[in-house]
Amino acid sequence: MLEYVEKIRETAIKLFKDGKVDVFIGYQKGSIPMMNQPVLINSADQAGLLYWDRNCGLNLCNYLTRRTDRIGIVANGCNSRNIVTHITENQIRRDQLYIVGIPCKGMIDHRAVQRAVKQQEILAVEEHSETFTVKGKDFEETFNIKDYLRSNCLVCTHRNPVIFDEIIAQPVEEQSGVDAYKDVRQIEGMDSENKWNFFTRIIDKCIRCYACRDACPLCYCPTCFVDESKPQWVGKSIDPVDTMTFHILRAYHCAGRCTDCGACERVCPMGIPVRQFTKKLNKDAQEFFSWEAGLSLDQRPLLDVFRPDDYNDFIR
Amino acid sequence: MNDWEPKITTFLCNWCSYGAADLAGVSRFQYPPNFRVIRVPCSGRVGPKFILAAFRHGSDGVWVSG
Amino acid sequence: MNEFDCGLDIRAATSIKYAQAVPLAYSIDREQCIGCGLCEKICLAGAINYHDRPKRTELEVGAVILAVGNELFDPGVQEVFAYGKSPNVITSMEFERILSASGPYMGHLMRPYDREEPKKIAWLQCVGSRDTHECSNAYCSGVCCMYAIKEAVIAREHAHGDLEPTIFYMDIRTYGKDFEEYYNRARNEHGVRFIRSRVHTVNPVEDGNLEITYIDDNGELKSEIFDLVVLSVGFQVGKESIKLAGRLGIELNKYNFARTDSFAPVATTREGVFVCGAIQCPKDIPQSVMEASAAAAASSVLLSESRWTQTQIQEMPPETNVIGEPPRIGVFICQCGINIAGVVNVPEVREYAKTLPYVTYAEDNMYTCSQDTQVKMAEVIREQGINRVVVAACTPKTHEPLFQETLMNAGLNKYLFEMANIRNQDSWVHSKDPSAATEKAKDLVRMAVTKAALLEPLPDTELGMEPVTMVVGGGVAGMVCVKNLADQGYEVHLVERSEELGGQARLLNKTWRGEDIHAYVKDLEDEIEKNPMVHVHRSTELTNVEGFVGNFSSTLKNGDKEITLKHGVAVVATGGHEYRPSEYLYGEDSRVLTHLELDAKFIQDDPSLKDVQSAVFIQCVGSREPDRPYCSRVCCTHTMESALELKRRNPDVDVYVLYRDIRTYGEREDLFREAREKGVIFFRYGLQSKPKVSKGTDTLEIEIQDHILKRPVILRADLLVLATAIIPSEAGQLATFFKVPVNDDGFFIEAHAKLRPVDFATDGIFLCGIAHYPKSIDESIAQALAAASRASGLIATGKVFASGTVARINPMYCSGCGVCVSICPYSAPSIMEEGRFAGKAEINSVLCKGCGLCVASCRSGAIDLKGFEQSQIMAMIDEV
Repeated sequence: MLEYVEKIRETAIKLFKDGKVDVFIGYQKGSIPMMNQPVLINSADQAGLLYWDRNCGLNLCNYLTRRTDRIGIVANGCNSRNIVTHITENQIRRDQLYIVGIPCKGMIDHRAVQRAVKQQEILAVEEHSETFTVKGKDFEETFNIKDYLRSNCLVCTHRNPVIFDEIIAQPVEEQSGVDAYKDVRQIEGMDSENKWNFFTRIIDKCIRCYACRDACPLCYCPTCFVDESKPQWVGKSIDPVDTMTFHILRAYHCAGRCTDCGACERVCPMGIPVRQFTKKLNKDAQEFFSWEAGLSLDQRPLLDVFRPDDYNDFIR
Repeated sequence: MNDWEPKITTFLCNWCSYGAADLAGVSRFQYPPNFRVIRVPCSGRVGPKFILAAFRHGSDGVWVSG
Repeated sequence: MNEFDCGLDIRAATSIKYAQAVPLAYSIDREQCIGCGLCEKICLAGAINYHDRPKRTELEVGAVILAVGNELFDPGVQEVFAYGKSPNVITSMEFERILSASGPYMGHLMRPYDREEPKKIAWLQCVGSRDTHECSNAYCSGVCCMYAIKEAVIAREHAHGDLEPTIFYMDIRTYGKDFEEYYNRARNEHGVRFIRSRVHTVNPVEDGNLEITYIDDNGELKSEIFDLVVLSVGFQVGKESIKLAGRLGIELNKYNFARTDSFAPVATTREGVFVCGAIQCPKDIPQSVMEASAAAAASSVLLSESRWTQTQIQEMPPETNVIGEPPRIGVFICQCGINIAGVVNVPEVREYAKTLPYVTYAEDNMYTCSQDTQVKMAEVIREQGINRVVVAACTPKTHEPLFQETLMNAGLNKYLFEMANIRNQDSWVHSKDPSAATEKAKDLVRMAVTKAALLEPLPDTELGMEPVTMVVGGGVAGMVCVKNLADQGYEVHLVERSEELGGQARLLNKTWRGEDIHAYVKDLEDEIEKNPMVHVHRSTELTNVEGFVGNFSSTLKNGDKEITLKHGVAVVATGGHEYRPSEYLYGEDSRVLTHLELDAKFIQDDPSLKDVQSAVFIQCVGSREPDRPYCSRVCCTHTMESALELKRRNPDVDVYVLYRDIRTYGEREDLFREAREKGVIFFRYGLQSKPKVSKGTDTLEIEIQDHILKRPVILRADLLVLATAIIPSEAGQLATFFKVPVNDDGFFIEAHAKLRPVDFATDGIFLCGIAHYPKSIDESIAQALAAASRASGLIATGKVFASGTVARINPMYCSGCGVCVSICPYSAPSIMEEGRFAGKAEINSVLCKGCGLCVASCRSGAIDLKGFEQSQIMAMIDEV
């Protein structure tokens, strides 16, 4: 996807020159390999910072919240779906945005690569069309990208942006026949004790840094419940009950809104598969209500709807 | 553990279930004394925070009815 | 002698008559007073005027309402029951006092003879009712079946199940709303034995026991010993009432009940004099309460011009500012007679309450809700400087407003109040486990105290009242309601789905008193049409309702035309219709008719009626069945009317009535007797042996098991009339529009079965007619007047108050996501368009109903619900 880089830069320059945007939000190369980071540029001459490859793992919508200026933004499937959610939840207006659509083929799971090189320090990464090469002090290895995609990308069915003002390449073919919820079904099959053990085990490493929350484009509240003191919903200790309370409530706040962009999991310094909390809710949303978040500007998020004559029998 | 009794925090909607619990009394139904009822104006008042808080404070079960 | 306890105990010559007396003051019983006058000298308050004499006061009034009630039949006049001979033969009213916690035995089930707990009690029905003997009354007293069943169930409860109650009856007349279901439960779940037999003699035997000899259903003579016999005595008009009626110049009927007309059920024969309750005919509480409101409505028409001319406004003390004060909580624990104190250790709970944080005062009372306790509570609040009040008693659903008023009288904001439900949800449901119930009571008190410490004073918002009523349903009930409101001078809109007004009444022939329904409906319609205050919307559907009491906005759709109606209150009078059966060859044979179809033939004077030689009526078709358990109330009377009408047209016609219980309550019993006198033959059948109908050669053949002959009997008939059930109109949308409940049978559920029979729990919506329960025209009219009275009461005040229990948003926390706007059923939240907090949400507290949906849905924690705040509920959770 390196070929997109020039196109993105050209588009940004054109937008600034035409006076269509005040700010442009995209990704730039990170200070360490495989860690591209969001960047906001204010003028055409900064366009050279913009970059795009298979290491753009964060969600840019965090930088849209409550802005009042005109914004250009690059958006693959995930970003675009969260832009939709942001618009429907009043966090930004559609007419403020110029969305530069990017068809996406999935992002690389840097942790899997790290494991493949036995946790040696990666000093450089080079991307080719179907492969990528990582280099370190005493090693150099080449991998097939498709073997190292992030788990949410493997089951993604919205690789193309769902909303855009222009798209910089032909849409890619959407994946079909993926089994998005195989892992959830496994958990559903457990008895309650094993379920409890499963979730207790996956969060036992949690250090409550709240990176998952901070990276999540849905978590835009001025004050998070974990920071409230009257009443104090969550204790500040490392008590497992408090940690579990945080994770369950975070997941519930994402119910019917999560686009499974995977930002939470990517940023977790402890490698906790936090998507296991939200995926079950996504599955329920899909199965009970045929709902996938961030696809339509006309519909409020699933659980925001009150309708006395709801057509679903089980809810009436 | 034989004489262990669960403690159940119960949120009852003022308009239906709380009234029903009153009616159960009027009808002299007998049931185990393990519930502690918190009256809420609507079961919609009960968010996940309350449920988790009840567990955090040592409830063995939480019952929301409305 | 204490006459309130039916002479079962004694009281002093100076006494308070009973615990709930109004005014709650002592009086002197001149008949017992020895005349020493000592009381006047020792009363420190100087409250006694010993030489006080009755005074004559003259009042100028525009209308008189007679609500003098009835006396009970005195069974002593009939020696056969041994009443007065054996102390263990008592009346049902004496038994009520025995069961009462404030009664002579403090609610313990004992018999007068030896104060032992009885093991076997017999109730004898129809004592002084349905009896044509000289010293008795021929009418049915209407309430005794139900109260006897209730007494039997409650007696079992007081005896902790160790009691065999038996009810001897002729017909069980549980024709009221939910009564049949109660009867079924009494029989099937509470172990009450029902024996169909009229007992002729009660014989006192040794040890105060009583021998009852009776003939059972199989015709066998049996004898059984009981510990206690309760005589289910009926009503009769007292001598004083008869004299009063004479002084007022109103006519009485042959039973000395006030004479009324079916179409004006609370109007006496003298204009401006109205009646309600049992002086008009025997009736139960809901019907009496309806009539009370109806009499108020009827007299309001006469008094509408002088409205507000002699009003006195209650002065409330100014509200004390408690903000910033540390909580000083007063805890009042109710014994509720033995209802709570009989199970929960109240003194222990009281002492426990004293140990709780911020509790500065705790006491317990016999009845915390009684008038004297209220007065005392206000004093205690003031003296002790209490600024938060907890009452541990029954349920806030019934008693919170009462206690809140006491807070206001004491100068406290009414929201500084919390209740702990230690009766309905504790002592009553854990009566076999006093120690667990006591622990639970302590927990509930602790939870309430914890919340109370965090309570804040809240303001109620005053709102205007649109002085317009919308009545939904243009049957007789709807029309009567409309007419009364218009006659009182209020604007009213009548919405009728069909083209014609009158509803089911148009299909009926005559009332049970023989009055012409058609002429009445016609007149009523004319009067409504020409009244300028009335707007009739025919062929109109109600498609939407928004708003709340005082400020409803409804959408009316007539064809393609839609109008929006603003109104302050609404009355639901959607009625019902006849059940169309799928049994007994109905729809297959033209000789099988429903009641209304036969009425149509009477109205048209159908010549085919002349050829009828033999007619059979089957009762309870579609009623009192497992699928439709209620009794349709009017069908027995309707059958008597129609059977008699057939006999009038052709005295030679054979008429048979196949019934389960004949329920001709009140004076309708006369029709039943007349039918028997005229030769109508009655066969009883059970649910297990329903009649079988088949086509014979020329006639219909109806086979029934005769319970006396014990063999099948075949009746040949050329007319079969099915007394089919009454089914309520589909409530669906209407219930949703007004947010009012509907029961399993499809009838709307009133706010309180006895005390608020025309109100809904939702403010500003009222109920009348068959939509509430099957009833006859006179009863529908009374209820319609009652609904008009309740509606006008609200409109007349001209304002409503919105509760302080509303959601409030802290904009600093709001993320503006709009969840609250999206989910609120009442459209209370909106996003602010401008100002410092533009883009954040705010809540219109007038529209807010305080459900808290937005609070629970707010991820940002920006919303809180006053009176049910996060911190308050969390504190309670912490104390569970």
